[in-house]
Amino acid sequence: MFRIRFHGRGGQGMKTASRILGTAFFIEGYEVQDAPRYGAERRGAPIFAYVRADKVAVNERGIISHPDLVVVSDDTLVGMPAAGVMQGIDQNTVLLINSHETADTWQQRLNTQAKIIILPAQEEIEDRAELPYIGSQCAAAAAALSHVISKQTFTQALTEELQHLGDEVVKQNLAVASTAFDAMAPHSGIVKESALPSATDYIKPEWIELPFEKAEISAPAIHSGATSVKVRTGLWRTMRPVINYEKCSGCWWICSTYCPDGAINVTDDKLPDIDYDHCKGCLVCVAQCPPHAIESIPEHIAKEKELAGAKS
Amino acid sequence: MIEGTPVHFHRMKDMPSSHLLGTGTPMCAGCGGLETLHNMYDILGEKTVFVNAAGCMTLLSVYPFTPFRGGWLYTSMASAPAGAQGVRDAMDIMIKKKKLPEDENMEVVVVTGDGSAYGMGMSATSGAMDRNLNFIYLCYDNEGYGNTGQQYSAATPHAAITSTSKGSHGYPGFKKDLFSIWAAHHPAYVATIIGAEPLDLAKKIEKLQGMTGPRMLISLAPCPTGWDYDPQLSVEIGHLAVQTGVWPLKEYINGKVTHTKIPKQRKPVEEYLKLQGRFKHLFYPQRDEQGIAEIQARIDAYWDNVTE
Ligand SMILES: Cc1ncc(C[n+]2csc(CCOP(=O)(O)OP(=O)(O)O)c2C)c(N)n1
Ligand code: SF4
Ligand code: SF4
Ligand code: SF4
Ligand SMILES: [Mg+2]
Repeated sequence: MFRIRFHGRGGQGMKTASRILGTAFFIEGYEVQDAPRYGAERRGAPIFAYVRADKVAVNERGIISHPDLVVVSDDTLVGMPAAGVMQGIDQNTVLLINSHETADTWQQRLNTQAKIIILPAQEEIEDRAELPYIGSQCAAAAAALSHVISKQTFTQALTEELQHLGDEVVKQNLAVASTAFDAMAPHSGIVKESALPSATDYIKPEWIELPFEKAEISAPAIHSGATSVKVRTGLWRTMRPVINYEKCSGCWWICSTYCPDGAINVTDDKLPDIDYDHCKGCLVCVAQCPPHAIESIPEHIAKEKELAGAKS
Repeated sequence: MIEGTPVHFHRMKDMPSSHLLGTGTPMCAGCGGLETLHNMYDILGEKTVFVNAAGCMTLLSVYPFTPFRGGWLYTSMASAPAGAQGVRDAMDIMIKKKKLPEDENMEVVVVTGDGSAYGMGMSATSGAMDRNLNFIYLCYDNEGYGNTGQQYSAATPHAAITSTSKGSHGYPGFKKDLFSIWAAHHPAYVATIIGAEPLDLAKKIEKLQGMTGPRMLISLAPCPTGWDYDPQLSVEIGHLAVQTGVWPLKEYINGKVTHTKIPKQRKPVEEYLKLQGRFKHLFYPQRDEQGIAEIQARIDAYWDNVTE
């Protein structure tokens, strides 16, 4: 069975990618399961989708814990524990990363035995939430790596799945997908089907076993308010608002009132302060600040600067 | 607002500068509904119990996380006002029996989307108003069934593309006039609000705090996900909704409707429409002059009858 997991950010089209790939497998005569992980995650939030394909009925259910192929549409997710990209990866897994960096760099950085392949990133896009066509590229690359899907079949699958968006959209997606498909030719067949698990050699995943308890013990009442602050929605951010305090007129904290998430508070000296653990990067504050004192910069660049600053 | 502080909202400067609603909620970046809720909550304060029907905002409180500092109750889509009745009655009885000190009394606040308010929750709401239930109702109106992928609702405006009105002309129906339907019940208070006009919103919340009975609010809730626009435009689109006259800000008290903000020179509605992907077909590939003119004419007709 092929077990393929796609990682991306909400809005990048990973759900569509898994759908296209699933359809392609299906046309090639496979039994297929494809599903996005459905949750409360929104645009920019780390999400994943997966595809299982086999020549016999697919009885396995749930999240793929031992993938044969992991496709990552946005390399900023790889180092983010919450995204779970590295989960269940071993020497048999192929890790396909959309990145400007080389496979060697990633191999060293991750210190993993997985085989790493780079899907060369297109021109630098400022806002990672808006990588155009990335879903189609990822699906095409995955299809090529599996070796069992012909380019013709892939084209048919993509056309079927994107038809409702109009001919122009299909054409543009096919063009970039075709390039990605061809770019993977040297690695065609590198992704191998792994065996069906048997009941006897089943290895329990490393999860924590909780004893069965009465509801009032296992699901205790929460006596504290505003516990949502424990959730770090700042991880969703692909663009970061940065206040230039020289330009900030300390107006009537327009930014603080308009921030939908209440992520801007006003300090005692009447200056706004952005809570980056929770700012989702909508950039409403940037658009509304009267003296244009808030700038937006790509999050990955802001992070690199922070790291460089910490080292020097 | 911090307990006991006298609040009088005259200027933007009077708006709270720290916020009660917890961060870290799963609402989309740029959610206009969340913007309304957090501004409203700052003024209502902690002594509130929210009663919430299924919709996007249900995800606010997913165990063990909640942005609220007080209570929260989840009901089915059609029955949030009935849930509010139960909570109100329970508190009244407990206060009467001296099991709950009077100063721990709380406001019961229903929060639902338009799918509930304009559609399947209407009967329960009507009943609650008939019974003169002492509660506040906030409908955040993102003009569709947002949480399930923006299918059209009775609040969807004419011509908008939704996932169930994908045709070349969008939604053929017209937005229901919920304000008038609610006002026809003669409750204590009905108002329209929007997060992009925080001062107007604050004044209205402050006003309804001094009243008892059903106090009903409808907030237009710009929705980047369902309306298809860049999240940073959320407030801009809210401003345009008011300036073009698409979203009249008004209130109903004692049988009388008063507009709280009458745009002196209304901007052409297309300024509002063209920022949103759901209306793209009015401008691309060809401009649909007739379609745009019809929408404009309906707005003009509304304002022609407005005197105060
Ligand atoms: C009776 C019933 N039908 C359908 C659903 C599924 N459902 C959950 S949320 C939702 C959308 C609600 O739309 P709205 O009230 O406008 O809130 P929004 O999602 O837009 O915030 C639907 C249809 C449900 N929970 N209950
Ligand atoms: S970008 Fe600005 S407005 Fe948006 S969540 Fe962050 S701080 Fe708030
Ligand atoms: S809106 Fe701009 S000027 Fe006003 S407080 Fe915020 S950053 Fe400063
Ligand atoms: S879909 Fe719309 S209403 Fe729902 S959370 Fe997202 S922005 Fe808010
Ligand atoms: Mg809705």
